[in-house]
Amino acid sequence: MRVFDLSLGQMLWSRRSVFLGILLGGPVFLAAAVRLIVEMSARGFRINGATASGSAVFGLIMWLLYIRFIIPILGVFFGTSLIADEVDDKTITYLFTRPVPRRAVLLGKYLAYVACTVLLVLPSVILVFFLIVPMGGSTIAGAFPSLVTDLGMLALGLIAYGAVFALVGTRLKRPLIVGLVFAFGWEPAVMLFPGYLKRLTVAYYLQALVNHEMPQDSAASVLLTLFHEVPSVAMSLLGLAVIVAVSLWFAGRAVENREYVLEQ
Amino acid sequence: MIPPPIVAVVSADHLSKWYGQVIGLNDVSVVVPPGVTGLLGPNGAGKSTFMKLITGQLKPSKGAINVLGEPIWQNPALYFRIGFCPEQDAFYERMTGLEWVTALMRLNGVSDTDAAAKARRAIETVDLVDAADKKIGAYSKGMRQRIKMAQALAHEPELLILDEPLGGMDPIARRKTIRMIKDLGRAGRSVIVSSHILHEIESMTANILLINQGRIVAEGNVHQIRDLIDEHPHTVYIKADQTRALAREFLSQDDVLSLKFEDDAVVVQTAKPDAFYARLTDLAASGELGGIHEVTSPDDNLQAVFQYLVKS
Repeated sequence: MRVFDLSLGQMLWSRRSVFLGILLGGPVFLAAAVRLIVEMSARGFRINGATASGSAVFGLIMWLLYIRFIIPILGVFFGTSLIADEVDDKTITYLFTRPVPRRAVLLGKYLAYVACTVLLVLPSVILVFFLIVPMGGSTIAGAFPSLVTDLGMLALGLIAYGAVFALVGTRLKRPLIVGLVFAFGWEPAVMLFPGYLKRLTVAYYLQALVNHEMPQDSAASVLLTLFHEVPSVAMSLLGLAVIVAVSLWFAGRAVENREYVLEQ
Repeated sequence: MIPPPIVAVVSADHLSKWYGQVIGLNDVSVVVPPGVTGLLGPNGAGKSTFMKLITGQLKPSKGAINVLGEPIWQNPALYFRIGFCPEQDAFYERMTGLEWVTALMRLNGVSDTDAAAKARRAIETVDLVDAADKKIGAYSKGMRQRIKMAQALAHEPELLILDEPLGGMDPIARRKTIRMIKDLGRAGRSVIVSSHILHEIESMTANILLINQGRIVAEGNVHQIRDLIDEHPHTVYIKADQTRALAREFLSQDDVLSLKFEDDAVVVQTAKPDAFYARLTDLAASGELGGIHEVTSPDDNLQAVFQYLVKS
């Protein structure tokens, strides 16, 4: 917990967090712009010619921005750098010459990542919700339970992606590139086709927890819908728990056995 | 009454470390006794590798290393008893000195109140009380060295390992740090301090390990080594406010062999480093020739001594 305290302060005020805070402002800005345009025009928000409710638009934003982009990106940028940042800054020596097992240092930093990213993402989602949902006849009260589920699902996504990319960060050289390829290459590709490979992705389990209908915005999405095997909620939660536990265990092992040679 | 046997603070048994094709340390077997021990060697000699092995940051490629009677690698509990001051200049720059030392103390399992108290005491020891509440990013090089020392000392370890602790310090801070290290030795703590400057080590202890090209070349009393180093000129780099005034002062002494200016510093070669450093410290203390901000010494003269030792 002491590593958590130390790391949380460092993470919240790092350049990385400031940049990602600005990134998370993007959906809020977009939502505000959409709301303004809808309020000024009389027609409402239209998707494929039909007027869409606020809840539907919110669901679209959740899929396209948060689930497919923001959550994996946060996982990659923060998760791969949990130890790497300390190595680059040469401050890792102070943490690894304290009576704290290296595995505990990694876990403390991982928990700080979870707290930091949840603190960044959830307010962004809540703001988008309050801006968008009241459009087109939806009510906040009616959609509120769905928001709670969405927040929980996004937090699980941050937890799972963070653990996977923490493993990538402790095991591989150039973890950022590997992480980006995994999140935006491997996962979307594997999800398109039938078979067991998709069970080796976070997206497979996470997308099963999403309340909102998947958007049909491309041929890839149509393929995805055709071959979409949806695990149950229980199976998804179990799958994510296993991914997190296994990833963190192997990441901890890597950190304990690795020698960190700092250039003078 | 039979006194208890002296336990080695560090014992290395046929210790080797290599990085791919590069040998960092080559078949080193040595026992470091309690007290203050200097590890002396030029840059690239293997000092840092040895330091990293005895602080558990590296795993031996071959052989064994024990610290305070136990293997150090993957043994975090041992760090309750060890304090380490690394060479690299790296900090959490946004934190104040007090915050940083307190945060690291908390990692030793100490309560928040005790951590803050111990941090304050350590900061007092290194004479940094006035700057304790300033951000480390605003510290001078010497202050950064001292706050590093503070984090190593704060939990009152049995064994203190200091990797080039005097680098970049002004003469006053250097003198205070040397005195502090000697006081720690007298108080029963063990200290291993590394340097590439014989004069620094000599002012702290008579017991040294001489390392070069990954091997322990000599160990024991420093005075025997001292006689050799005196044959070779000693280079000192001094960054100061009034370099020309300092130069005029130095040139009036017959032990100064040569002198040149580099940016806002003066580089002096002296045949009598003892007397030179003593004079420099007096000048810094009096302030009569302005502020003296940094004193460092490259090791090129030491290289010749090592070559001599290896041949003999």
